[in-house]
Amino acid sequence: MPQPHSSGYFRTDYADDWRLLQTRGQRGAAAVGLVLACVFPLVASAFLLDLANQVLIAVVGAVALMLLTGYAGQVSLGHAGLMAAGAFTTGILARETGAPFWIALPASGAVGALIGFLFGLPSLRLRGLYLAVSTLALHFIVIHAGQEYETRRGLSSGVVIDPPSLFGAELVDPRLWYAALFVCAGAAVLFALNLLRSRTGRAWRALHGREPVAEALGIPVAGAKVSAFVIASTLTAMSGSLFAYYRGFVSSEAFSLFLTIQYVAMIIIGGMGSILGAVLGAAFVTLFPYLIEMALAQLPGGASMSSLVFAVNYAAFGLVMILFLLFEPQGLVGIWHRLRNWFLLWPFRQRPLK
Amino acid sequence: MKRRILSLLSAAAFAAAVAPGVNAQNAYVVGVTAAMTGPAAGTYAPVMDALRAYIDHVNGKGGVNGRQIQLIIADDQGEPSRAAANAKKLLNQDKVVLLINSSLSSTYAPVVADSKRAGVPLLFAGAACPKETFPPADPLQFCSTAFGATFDSRAALDFIKGQTKEPVRLGLAAMAIPLSRGEIDFAEGLARQVGMTPVDKQITPPPTPDYTPFATKLKDANPNWVWAWSPWISQVRTFEAMRRLGWNGQYLAWAHLNAEEDLARIKDPGLFVIGSNAFFSDDLPIHAEIRAVTHRANLKHPVSFLAEGFVAGLVIETAMKGAAQPTAQAVTASMNNLKVDLKGLRGGPLEWTKDNHFRTRQYYRVWRWEPSAGAVRRVQDWVAVDVKQ
Amino acid sequence: MQTLVNIAVLTSIYALIACGYVIVYRTSRVLSLAHGELMMLGAFGLWVTIALFDGMPLAAALAALLLAAVVGVVVYAALMRRMTGEAVLAAVLATIALGILLRGLAVLIWGPTERHPLAALGWDNPVFELPAGARISAIDASLVGAAVVCYAGLFAFLRFSPWGIRMRAAGQSPLLAAQRGISLHVIYALAWCLATLTGGTAGMLLALNTALDQTMVVIGLKAFPAALVGGLDSLAGAILGALIIAAAEVLIIQFVSPLLADVVPFIVLLAMLIVRPWGLFGTREELDRV
Repeated sequence: MPQPHSSGYFRTDYADDWRLLQTRGQRGAAAVGLVLACVFPLVASAFLLDLANQVLIAVVGAVALMLLTGYAGQVSLGHAGLMAAGAFTTGILARETGAPFWIALPASGAVGALIGFLFGLPSLRLRGLYLAVSTLALHFIVIHAGQEYETRRGLSSGVVIDPPSLFGAELVDPRLWYAALFVCAGAAVLFALNLLRSRTGRAWRALHGREPVAEALGIPVAGAKVSAFVIASTLTAMSGSLFAYYRGFVSSEAFSLFLTIQYVAMIIIGGMGSILGAVLGAAFVTLFPYLIEMALAQLPGGASMSSLVFAVNYAAFGLVMILFLLFEPQGLVGIWHRLRNWFLLWPFRQRPLK
Repeated sequence: MKRRILSLLSAAAFAAAVAPGVNAQNAYVVGVTAAMTGPAAGTYAPVMDALRAYIDHVNGKGGVNGRQIQLIIADDQGEPSRAAANAKKLLNQDKVVLLINSSLSSTYAPVVADSKRAGVPLLFAGAACPKETFPPADPLQFCSTAFGATFDSRAALDFIKGQTKEPVRLGLAAMAIPLSRGEIDFAEGLARQVGMTPVDKQITPPPTPDYTPFATKLKDANPNWVWAWSPWISQVRTFEAMRRLGWNGQYLAWAHLNAEEDLARIKDPGLFVIGSNAFFSDDLPIHAEIRAVTHRANLKHPVSFLAEGFVAGLVIETAMKGAAQPTAQAVTASMNNLKVDLKGLRGGPLEWTKDNHFRTRQYYRVWRWEPSAGAVRRVQDWVAVDVKQ
Repeated sequence: MQTLVNIAVLTSIYALIACGYVIVYRTSRVLSLAHGELMMLGAFGLWVTIALFDGMPLAAALAALLLAAVVGVVVYAALMRRMTGEAVLAAVLATIALGILLRGLAVLIWGPTERHPLAALGWDNPVFELPAGARISAIDASLVGAAVVCYAGLFAFLRFSPWGIRMRAAGQSPLLAAQRGISLHVIYALAWCLATLTGGTAGMLLALNTALDQTMVVIGLKAFPAALVGGLDSLAGAILGALIIAAAEVLIIQFVSPLLADVVPFIVLLAMLIVRPWGLFGTREELDRV
């Protein structure tokens, strides 16, 4: 659970122990953040709102992957496949049976759980690279199934989904979407934080640390691994379902290996082992291409540069990932912690042990 | 006194901020979401680069109706989410009066939805024409791309039938994308109706190291003609693999951007291409103009790839000419009753009506390499096909 | 018979690419997921040398091979050297990021249009008749030949030459090898050099066979199951893995449906991971028994 960062806070009962926001500072920061988040849709342009919505959807997926890889230590390269599974379930249900979203969303979660179980079975025998590769293989198989469905049903440009209706109002306005997605992302983050404080979370952390020791302590290792996959996959599939509803359609081309790499980059750049890292990483990776475009637009050169802009995005993404891996292995969270410690410890300085 | 200076200054600042807006309102703002990078870029980037060169050329000559055409190109890398974000930005922030999509068909659905909501016409240029542009057409979707599903197969099978008196054993080749597979499935059914025997249908996955296994299967079925309708790589590599296996039949493929160059490279008289865009070997005045314009723009693509982009440019120029005001409604009205003189780039003018946003007539030519002449030669001149309901 | 020829050619393609994965993994325990991009870079290197050595095709080909080897050393020195000692996952992600960077740079420098190195070299691609009516083109035959030469050379190198023995030692136990005085950085650089050399050869021959464009990268990924099925640290396993996957692919195209061709390597991989995760000839490591 989050620790107080300054002295003078005493816990006087068990309830205090369990609170997520423990100090006045944390409560104040949370309140300010909430107010800013509520004000944002009122002042932002439609383009910025769309970016924010994309970030919120990415947060759900990144949190799921962080739980699986960052906390439980199970490497998974099948993330896009799981999102595709959730999205296609939603698409198929919406198209074939016209199911409303409050059936399709949980159904996608259930399908995600099932496929997550399948993805998780190899983890009982494999670790590290081999596990990653098995998830990669499963990813390709899921995508292939999606393509077959598309072609069999003659949907060459994907499955179109009607916008979901919430309490009678159709979710089309980006501001309504922002509110709905904010609630979803907030729920996902809270769920993750609470899960990590529970037995399951502690079992995962033990699993990640030293597996034989965890087994010796009596933690059911196989159960913990499978539960990690199942829970993370459910969340991922739901994020895929949200993605499908937000975009209004599903197409197998949207779920490429590059999407998996982007999510893995989110948790690496954000900082492994931290939910805040998942959120920061999701925001960074989603906004990165637009930042590059804006930066390049500032440079002199004009129209002739714009065909270069597009390829620069790709190269820059790879470069940034390499730079983070080489020089900032703790990611954005590491930078944030250094910054925060500087303020907290001022006028003293702390050099972290290398 | 201070207050007065302050208010004067703020008024001046306000005016300065608004003034460029007034200027921009005077241009026709056109937005593009295209696959400029990413795996599909080879098909779409040349089209958009040529379009940009042409629009710059038009603007240099004074623009249209005294206004400039402001072209904003956004890259979507062939990804639907990026295309959706691009569409939102172009429609809501840049306030475009015409949106262009030149990307994979998976990007269509969100772009269509967004443009419908904004009431802005959507032009597919260089990208496959969705069936909503065929009559009866969706009010806001238009298409200037050369190829069109079902019409191409009909014209191809007509050509094959006209080429030979003996019974046709037809092989079919597609790529494992829904659009290509759908068209080849349609061609299979059509072949039976016109009395040909479809003997085998091969579907190749997009990137495969070796086309020989697929070609082996196709060759073993012993077709005398093969019809392929898919991205150029798949068409030409299947053909090359079949030739290497010793197959001697005739192969008809759709003439994509690379066709003219590749026919001259492969030098095989059995490879026929059917297409709607004239080849640069015709050396029409418009081709010289294309060479000049794109040479000035310093484009990296071979010049024979650029006809499609120029067609799009001519279409946009004519559409804007007919729009008195730079608004979406005026542009849509102009496009609903459009006749574009393509100066020989296609077999005839491109005409749109309220119901037909594809074109009223589609023209086809067929070319192949003639060893005796040592050049690419026309086998069939423009055949007009009426596009009806 | 033609089926057998097709299997042989596809096996050679996969084997050539797979041996790059195996060499790097065996030596440094890093899975190089940038191999597809390095393959493409090798092919683009050929394009560059064709322009440089205009009119001297053989010199261009040799220069391209040299360039590929140098690129491997540069990749190690610039990037992978700093990742030694870090977690294996971080190193793998570094290779993925490197792949993305290379792909972006390739488009930036050369653009997305397709190139035809064969036409640029001025070479032809004649077809040879084989018994039983099968045919094979010259470049396909040279693919098979290149695979044989590369593997024979690698076997000889690893078994008989002093540096090869040092490489095997470093692969088995880096700590002891370092204590023995073997410079690990040189060994790893050599491993990357060999990997890009073989990968680049595969890329060049593929580009000569068909055309040069970005889609070659995905082929690198399809060859990855071949390396895994045989065992990531066994060269003999790579050949066998390539054979199994190529045979499965060709036979399924021939007798079942061409649509499955894309997904067959991964189904075989999955089956192998379930039954025998360390591959046919790989060493058991990093695995639990449940």
